[in-house]
Amino acid sequence: MNYYALILQLLPEAVLVVTALVLLGVAVTTESRKKRPLSLDVAIAITSLGIAAAGFALYRCPFTIDCGSALIVMDPLARLFKCLVLVLGLLAVLLPPARGEIRHPGEFYALMLFAITGLMLTVGTNHLLFLFVALELASLSLYLLAGFSGTARAAEASLKYFLFGGVSAAFLLFGLSLLFGFCPALTLPAMAAALTAGPLPPFAVAGLVMVVVGLGFKLAAAPFHYWAPDVYQGAPATSVAMVAAASKAVGVLVMVRVLLFGFEAAGGAALWGSLKPGWSLWLGVLAAVSMVWGNLLALAQTSVRRLLAYSAVANTGYLLVALSANGPKAAGTALFYVIVYGLATLGALAVTAGVERDRGDDSLGSFAGLVHRSPLQAVALLVFLTSLAGIPPLAGFVGKFAMFSEALTVSATQSSTGLVWLVGLGAVMSAISFYYYLQVLKQAFVRDAGDASGPVVLHWAHRLAMLVPAVLVVLLGLFPAWLFGPVARALEETLRGW
Amino acid sequence: MNPAWTLTSAFAGALLVLLLPARSAGWSRVVALVASVIGALAAAGSCLTKLRHPEQAAWDLDWEWIPQLGARFHLGADGLGLVLLLLTGIVAIAGVLFSWNVERRQRAFFAYYMTIIGGVYGVFLSRDAFLMFVFYEVVILPKYMLISIWGSTNKEYGAMKLTMYSIGASALILIGLVVAYAAAGGTSFDLNHLARANYAPALQFWAFPILFLGFAVLAGIWPFHTWAPTGHVAAPTAVSMLLAGVVMKLGAYGALCVAMPLFEQGFQEWRLMIALLAVVGIIYGALTALAQKDLKFVIGYSSVSHMGFILLGLAAANMWGLRGAVLQMVSHGIIAGLLFGIAGRVVYERTHTRDLGELQKFDLWRSLPGAALAFTLATAASMGLPGFSGFVAEISVVVGVWQAKPWLLVGVAVGIIVTGAFSLRAMQRAFFPVRKAGAEPPAALPPLAWPEISAITLLLTASVAIGVYPMPWVDLINDGLKSPLFETILSLP
Repeated sequence: MNYYALILQLLPEAVLVVTALVLLGVAVTTESRKKRPLSLDVAIAITSLGIAAAGFALYRCPFTIDCGSALIVMDPLARLFKCLVLVLGLLAVLLPPARGEIRHPGEFYALMLFAITGLMLTVGTNHLLFLFVALELASLSLYLLAGFSGTARAAEASLKYFLFGGVSAAFLLFGLSLLFGFCPALTLPAMAAALTAGPLPPFAVAGLVMVVVGLGFKLAAAPFHYWAPDVYQGAPATSVAMVAAASKAVGVLVMVRVLLFGFEAAGGAALWGSLKPGWSLWLGVLAAVSMVWGNLLALAQTSVRRLLAYSAVANTGYLLVALSANGPKAAGTALFYVIVYGLATLGALAVTAGVERDRGDDSLGSFAGLVHRSPLQAVALLVFLTSLAGIPPLAGFVGKFAMFSEALTVSATQSSTGLVWLVGLGAVMSAISFYYYLQVLKQAFVRDAGDASGPVVLHWAHRLAMLVPAVLVVLLGLFPAWLFGPVARALEETLRGW
Repeated sequence: MNPAWTLTSAFAGALLVLLLPARSAGWSRVVALVASVIGALAAAGSCLTKLRHPEQAAWDLDWEWIPQLGARFHLGADGLGLVLLLLTGIVAIAGVLFSWNVERRQRAFFAYYMTIIGGVYGVFLSRDAFLMFVFYEVVILPKYMLISIWGSTNKEYGAMKLTMYSIGASALILIGLVVAYAAAGGTSFDLNHLARANYAPALQFWAFPILFLGFAVLAGIWPFHTWAPTGHVAAPTAVSMLLAGVVMKLGAYGALCVAMPLFEQGFQEWRLMIALLAVVGIIYGALTALAQKDLKFVIGYSSVSHMGFILLGLAAANMWGLRGAVLQMVSHGIIAGLLFGIAGRVVYERTHTRDLGELQKFDLWRSLPGAALAFTLATAASMGLPGFSGFVAEISVVVGVWQAKPWLLVGVAVGIIVTGAFSLRAMQRAFFPVRKAGAEPPAALPPLAWPEISAITLLLTASVAIGVYPMPWVDLINDGLKSPLFETILSLP
């Protein structure tokens, strides 16, 4: 064991934890004096600095280090996603909670940092038990963050999130213990090696099903999504941004790592006409259910936050289509999509939060005449929602198109229909989804504001949390290769190392 | 002049309009006009160059874009594309002129307007299926905004219906394209590459109708045409012109240049079905137009009928048929633009009604003689009288169908007769009412303004020019149809 390498590798996480502790210390000392409690701006600034420092540490971390274990790995994919988690986490941090919503900013942002730390650790491990621990670190922080504002709605959201999350953790852990019975090493390379000897025994198949179910909870795949609408609606916008963007991206990465790297051989097939049992098929079914259920329920929503929650379910469905193809290229497109999806949802949440604070609630009617009250917010909303709907030239379109085409390419031959049932369903449901995104845009652009107040003034950080994703979504739509290239390369190099 | 100027000028115009400060919002229409004129000149210049030096290699621009997907930023223009670019340019100028009096949220109006124009240019220029789809979809959201904000009758409903039809059709196109891409090896979206690949007949049999229908919905194929009349009526004048004039042509163009060349065998299997739907569309559109009370609805349904000729020409799949189809795209684009312009802008803005019964009170041929003259000429063109573009186009389609399936012409003949009937009925009711003796004289209406006169003149000139001397257009289209894309289609039995 090379301790120097280990420290070097864990430096970004260490920086985050230290920042969190500093934040807590400052909060405690200022709060005991009662006079000038830690202000929101200072808390945001300290947290952002910490994240930036972690990013620097990550940047300086030498590329090839091997500390001799699968517990902590720094392969190109882990490196890239640690970086992306920092970016998405920073954007979530920048989205400030409403005035008076959070009484203890020190604790709140310390928890945000712990959540980011957990997500970063989750990304960089090939060891299933460590994966579980890291994932729980992130999840426990997120449960608390969801209920942090202390309102009845937030408490309900937090409790629901916690109960569902607890059950999913139980599934995950039980599944892992069954897999441990199949291969007593618990590292993914060992699992993959053991799989070459022969097919999975039945109890290990059950274990794998449970792992898929557990991860499905985390990703809000239907029918394991029931926590999502309440969390999206009740929790502080900052916490939702973390759940919706960074945590989701990490969920997809874990799926790629565990299923595609570790259990590729147990994939089976979701191809029409030649269905073979395996995680590919399970993901295919989850994808179909998520796309249909998420999109249809989103149609009926009047609260924009709930609408975004159901759109999250639907988008998980599209992601699972690409993952169920069981091919590295298709997985690369899913990783690309989850990033641009995260950016767009985060931005949409930022705009929604802005409207909510101006008008008092997040109903569709509150968006009426947004273009007159705040053209910037309205245009940003247009960018985010059309990206989510998959309209070019925005990044969401490229991602969705790429996922569908690569999912089909993996399976197709000149005559086979392969995954076309899933891709077709995805395309049709995606068309339907445009209807509900358009309902929001209709309010913002077509309807008149009525008696609404004048221009909306946003917090500086809030403006950043809205504009940076908007610019990124447009740029990545026009030049997708900027993100596509690194993702595909990282995936390829990581796979080569297996 | 380089055809890329069409695309660049339109998008640059849109951007420039958005960047105008609020106090000079009035300049937005000037910017839009200049951008449209540059685009049209670029298209016309490219057409002339092509005619003068037909042997010169076609213009081509090929940039790397998304190597991971095999999508390239590949533009090119052969004769076929150039003709449609020129049509778009002409209609774009006329549309700006007809919306000269838009006062509400001008900048947003012209920004959306120029985005549509840019998207349409982009589709006609794309040589890469992915890029083409991007431009195809870029058009959708501005359409929705323009109709639902600046529209009239039942605008939010009409806009939503049109948008959902478009987006649903796009989903079908996406499925079709992705299937073709995957079956061709998943390496490139280049249209020539996709067209060269060999697809299994079983796959072609189900993939072709998906892809074709996706495009044909936008071309108003019966029974998926209902978005067109409601959308056209709800839309502001310039957008009705664009929708009927060029956006519907995107569907026809996609069917001709993507769906048919990719899955030739599938096309052969479904050809008769397409022809039958086209004939039903011709007759049904004309009959429905005969029963309308709203002048814009008459024109909307006549569009469905005229678009039927395009689809019929495609289904004939011989040189005459395809050429006729493209000519009809151009011809209908001009004439529909003209009719919508007169009905929606010239007449409606003055009388505030489009009801054929109400219009009788205004005695338009006395109070607005210029409009009456223009509408009469446009109606003649629309009916396909010799000397106008409609005649050249429809006669080509008819010859093509005669060579392929002569018995279909029975239906076409019925359609042409009914077309004459509804055109004359609408024209007579709206512009030439029988005055009862002793009725009070009609209210005086403001005379035509210069933007209206110039737009009408532009469109009429174009239609007459094609009708009187179609050879340059035919040469250009022939050049396009010589492309390897159409080789197999033209040799189908």
